[in-house]
Amino acid sequence: MDSMIGAVRPAAGAGRCQSCAGPLWQGDELTKLADRREFLARLSDALTVSAQSNHDGGERRVAVMMIDLDRFKAVNDGLGHPAGDALLRKVAARLRSALRETDMPARLGGDEFAVLLDKPVDECVVEAIATRLVDLISRPYMIDGSVANIGASIGIAFAAPGTGPDDLLGQADLALYKSKAEGRGRFAFFEPALQEAARARRALEFDLRAALALGQFELFYQPKIHLGENCLSGFEALIRWRHPLRGLVRPDDFIPMAEDLGLIIRIGEWVLRAACSEAVNWPEGLSVAVNVAPAQFYTGSLVPAVAAALAASGLPGPRLELEITETALLRNGPEVLRQLAALKALGVKIALDDFGTGYSSLTQLRSFPFDRVKIDRSFADDGVVVRAVAALGTSLGMCVTAEGVETAEQMRRLRQDGCTEAQGYHLSRPVPVPALPGIIRRHLEASNVEESNR
Amino acid sequence: MTGNPESYRLIYISRNALRGTAAELEAEVGHILVVSRRNNARDGITGALLFNESCFAQVLEGGSDVVQEVFERIQLDPRHCDTVVLAFGPAPREFGEWSMAYAGAMGADSAGYHHLAMPGGAEAASGHILDLLRGVLLRQGAA
Repeated sequence: MDSMIGAVRPAAGAGRCQSCAGPLWQGDELTKLADRREFLARLSDALTVSAQSNHDGGERRVAVMMIDLDRFKAVNDGLGHPAGDALLRKVAARLRSALRETDMPARLGGDEFAVLLDKPVDECVVEAIATRLVDLISRPYMIDGSVANIGASIGIAFAAPGTGPDDLLGQADLALYKSKAEGRGRFAFFEPALQEAARARRALEFDLRAALALGQFELFYQPKIHLGENCLSGFEALIRWRHPLRGLVRPDDFIPMAEDLGLIIRIGEWVLRAACSEAVNWPEGLSVAVNVAPAQFYTGSLVPAVAAALAASGLPGPRLELEITETALLRNGPEVLRQLAALKALGVKIALDDFGTGYSSLTQLRSFPFDRVKIDRSFADDGVVVRAVAALGTSLGMCVTAEGVETAEQMRRLRQDGCTEAQGYHLSRPVPVPALPGIIRRHLEASNVEESNR
Repeated sequence: MTGNPESYRLIYISRNALRGTAAELEAEVGHILVVSRRNNARDGITGALLFNESCFAQVLEGGSDVVQEVFERIQLDPRHCDTVVLAFGPAPREFGEWSMAYAGAMGADSAGYHHLAMPGGAEAASGHILDLLRGVLLRQGAA
């Protein structure tokens, strides 16, 4: 063990105290591994030596691993900080046990570790070490009589000629990000495409942060048809981002990021205000449906935002319908249900969206008197599911909407199968605001013709 | 030692990662025993080990800290994986004469890893393992 600690000390001359010639590095007090400063200095040395030996025709590749512990916070929160510290010490010991004497493990801070592999390594060797580390770190720990379980995600980067220490760490970080995105408990190698993806993501983030202030969001509206009366019942408001260079950006391409960045709260408020002030111009029988993000519940911002949007526009509560997904109910269900009740008190209708794709739990369907259940578009051709959900919804006193209706034949079957409402491309794509008066007029005229034919 | 309030007992099972013929497995487990007996005698640990094709089951007895240190050392061993701790708590020593009693390969009546690692079954499984070990040692004592 002593020799291993010796191996992590810098070569003679580098970073030594002037008076006693001892190493300047304090190391990480908790784990006795190298700390960030020492790691960076050693990495910098290794890259310099590597560049020289490559110049002399020798083959010496430096690799860096970034290691993040998965679920470490849960241990810290559950067993306390002293247990968290004990866990970090054990992780450090497991790291050392799996490495060669020439590899240098370090704790960069928090639950972030790194390894410098500075002897000739190829992908196979590094892969074997990374596999072993992921396995070892995710084995159970006994701490003060309690069992703790964590995992490890690892990102790996090899130094190319001319790569600096910061660049190399940045690349390993991108690989780490990838291994986390792919589900954690694994390792990933850096590849140049990750850099491009990260750059594109940063650019998108920059633009998205400005989009609200620059007024680049628009609402499109998709008609919803009442199947029994065969008339227009209202519209679902769908957000679009009109970017000056990217063009019209689809919600799938920016809503997840807006949720990550916490921008969804303010975007959600804007959607509510815009949809309500548009809907108040429509004939009285028509309602507007607005999608709500889970975060709007969790931050407690939804109820005040809805009340403000209704008050500002003068739209009566019953003409606004909020569409929530099952996911929103999963975390802190009781609090979400409390807010749903407050929304109902404002007269607002509540729909359970995308039913059938998530947990489709009957508990959730019964947990609240939803006004509507919307069957996910993926079931438009699945008569068995449609009939079952329609029967279930109807007997619970809910309206049943089928989404993703693309043909007249589907429309006919959905009506037969007991759905009360339909929306989809067969009826109309989502349209911008200027197209609304035309659609509304056509539907009014059609129903007038029907009336006079009776 | 029996009844010593300071004594703790840890019971775990893990998946056997060893590959080879029955004789090779026995030989490898023999190595494990030699090393663990030497270390355990030094650390004041007693206990028992049994294994079959699919799993290891081990009881460790001793001071709380020492037992946990030994467990950590065992965790680093690549010859097994998927460890599940079934019990840890104060308990009188049952294998006080053994630095690591070897109950050999589990008989046909012994449960496999899947059965022992069944969720919710930790208490039953640890009781079952203790019974198995007690039984084998009784038979060995009688022989």
